[in-house]
Amino acid sequence: MPEVLLRVEGLDAGYGRVPVIRGASLEVMRGEIVTIIGANGAGKSTLLKTIAGLVRPTAGNVTLEDRDVTGLAPERLVRRGLALVPEARMLFGPMSVAENLALGAHTRRSTAEVADSLKRVNSLFPVLAERSSQPASTLSGGEQQMLAIARALMSNPRVLLLDEPSLGLAPKVIADIFGVLDDLRSEGLGILLVEQDANLALKHAQRGHVMRSGHMVLSGAASELADNDDVRLIYLGAWHGKE
Amino acid sequence: MSARYGLDRAIARVAPVLIVALVAAVPLLTDDRYLFKVLTFVGLNVIVVTGLALLFGYAGQISLGHAAFFGIGAYSVGYLTATRALPWLAAVAIGVALASVVGLLLSLPMLRLKGHYLAMATLAFSEILGVFFVEASAITGGNDGLRGIPFPSVGPFKIATPGASYLLVWGVAIIVVVLASNLVRTRPGRALRAVHGTELGAQACGIDTGRLRVQVFTLSAGLAGLAGALYAGVVGFVSPTTFSLEFSVLLVAMVVLGGTGSITGPVVACVALTLLPYIDALVPGLPRDAVAFLQDWEADISGIVMIGVLLFAPGGVAGMLRRSRRAGDAS
Repeated sequence: MPEVLLRVEGLDAGYGRVPVIRGASLEVMRGEIVTIIGANGAGKSTLLKTIAGLVRPTAGNVTLEDRDVTGLAPERLVRRGLALVPEARMLFGPMSVAENLALGAHTRRSTAEVADSLKRVNSLFPVLAERSSQPASTLSGGEQQMLAIARALMSNPRVLLLDEPSLGLAPKVIADIFGVLDDLRSEGLGILLVEQDANLALKHAQRGHVMRSGHMVLSGAASELADNDDVRLIYLGAWHGKE
Repeated sequence: MSARYGLDRAIARVAPVLIVALVAAVPLLTDDRYLFKVLTFVGLNVIVVTGLALLFGYAGQISLGHAAFFGIGAYSVGYLTATRALPWLAAVAIGVALASVVGLLLSLPMLRLKGHYLAMATLAFSEILGVFFVEASAITGGNDGLRGIPFPSVGPFKIATPGASYLLVWGVAIIVVVLASNLVRTRPGRALRAVHGTELGAQACGIDTGRLRVQVFTLSAGLAGLAGALYAGVVGFVSPTTFSLEFSVLLVAMVVLGGTGSITGPVVACVALTLLPYIDALVPGLPRDAVAFLQDWEADISGIVMIGVLLFAPGGVAGMLRRSRRAGDAS
C-alpha cells in the first residue's frame, strides 16, 4: 500500500481579494513524481507557494504525513519535511555554493546529519563539490538549478516541490537534472513538479494534473494524460499533427 | 595564492590585537583632554554604527531613526541617575532595555515595510521622539535638557576623567565590534545575508525572515541605546539637539561609506567621518581657519564624499579592500 506524503484538499488561495487557485486537490505518494501542467497564469506557481506556506490559503486543507499543516509558516513546513525549489531558483548570488548549501540546512541542528546530506548532494551533483567556494552567481544556469535543488535537499525533505526546473536550460542539462529527480523518486522522495514543458513532465511523472484558470480540469496517470487528445492539442504541441 | 590567504589570515588574527593595543596605548602616550573627548565620541559612534551595519549592511533594512534610540538611552541614564539617583550600572541596563523594547515594538508593525517606506516610518518615529524629548519636560528637561548627570561609577570606582571615559567607551566598543564580527560569521549572520539577498529564497530555506528582521532591529536599537546610555554619563549633559535627524543620516552615511556586508568597513568610515571636524585634535598646529572650515562644512564634505563613493566605489571601504585583495590574488 503506497503511503500518502502530501495531501491537498479543496485549496483556495490568491493575492489580496483576487482568487488565483480554486478547489485544488491532489496527493503525492512516497516515491512518486506528480506533475502539474498548464498555461502561464493558470495558478501553478501559486499552488506550490501556498502548499509551501508562502501564500495563505483562504480555504481547504494541506496534510503532510497525516498531520494537518494548513496555513503553517514556511519555516515550520521545512522542519516537517517539505522543501520548495522556487521559480527562478532564488539563490544567494554573492554567497558561495557551500554557504548556499549551509543555508539549505538552516533548520537542522545536528552537524553530523548535515555533513551526511552534504555528502549526498555532492554525489548527486559532483559539479557542486568542484565549485564549492565559488559565488553562486558565477555558476551556469544548469549548475544554478542543480544548486537550488541541492539546497532544498539539504533540509532533508520527504516532499520536494519544484517550480519550473527546466526553464531556460539546454536539453542535455535538463536530462541530467531530470535523471537525478528520477533517482530521488526511486529512493522514496515524493516530488510535486510544476513544469511548462508538459512533454518532459509527463515523461518523468507517474501522475499529473492539468490546471486552467486556477482549477484542476484534468487528472490522471501521466501516460493517460500524455495520450489525452485535449492535453496533446493544447499542451503537448500536437496542434499541427491534429490539423 | 595559499601564501596570500595565509597572510590574510595572519593579518585578520593580528589586526584586532594591534587595535586593542593601540586603543590601550593612547592614554600612555598623551594626556590631552580634548583628544580623549574626541576619541570618546568616535567610540560611541562606533557602537551605534556596528548595530546599523548589522541592520542595514547585512539585513538590508534602513533606519533613519537611530538617533532616537541613542536619545532613549541617554535620557534614561540622565533621568535615572541625576533625578532618581539610581546606580549608574542599573540606569545603563534600563536605558539599553528600554531602547531595545521600543525597537522591538516599532519593528513589529514595520515588518511589512521595505526600502523607502521603512525609511519614512523610522523617520516619522524619530520625529515623534524628538517632540517627546522636548515636550516631556518633567523627565527630559525640555529644550534645556538634563544637566548635572553624574559620572559613571560602579561601586567605589568612579570614571571621572576624560582618559577613563575614553577607556570605558572604547572597552565597550571593542567588545561590541568583536561580538558583531563573530555573529556575522556564524549561522545568524549567514541568515541575515540570505534575507538581504532574496527573502523568498531565505523563506524556502526555512528561515523565519520576519523574526530575524525583528531581532536585528531590536539588537541595533539596543546598541544605539547603549551608546546613548554611555554618552549621558560621560558628557554629563543631554539635550534634544543631539538626537537630530542629521545624526541619524550621518550614521547611515557611515555604513554606506564603509560598505554593506561588512563590520570593519563601516567602523573605519565611522572613525574617519567622526574625526573629520575634530582633525585638530590629531594634528596639532593646524591653522584655526582650516579647522573652522572643516567644522562649518562638515555636512557638505560628508555629502560630497558619499556621492563620490556611490558613484565610483559603491562597495565602500569594504568593497575597495575586497578588490585590492582580489587584485593581489591575480598578480
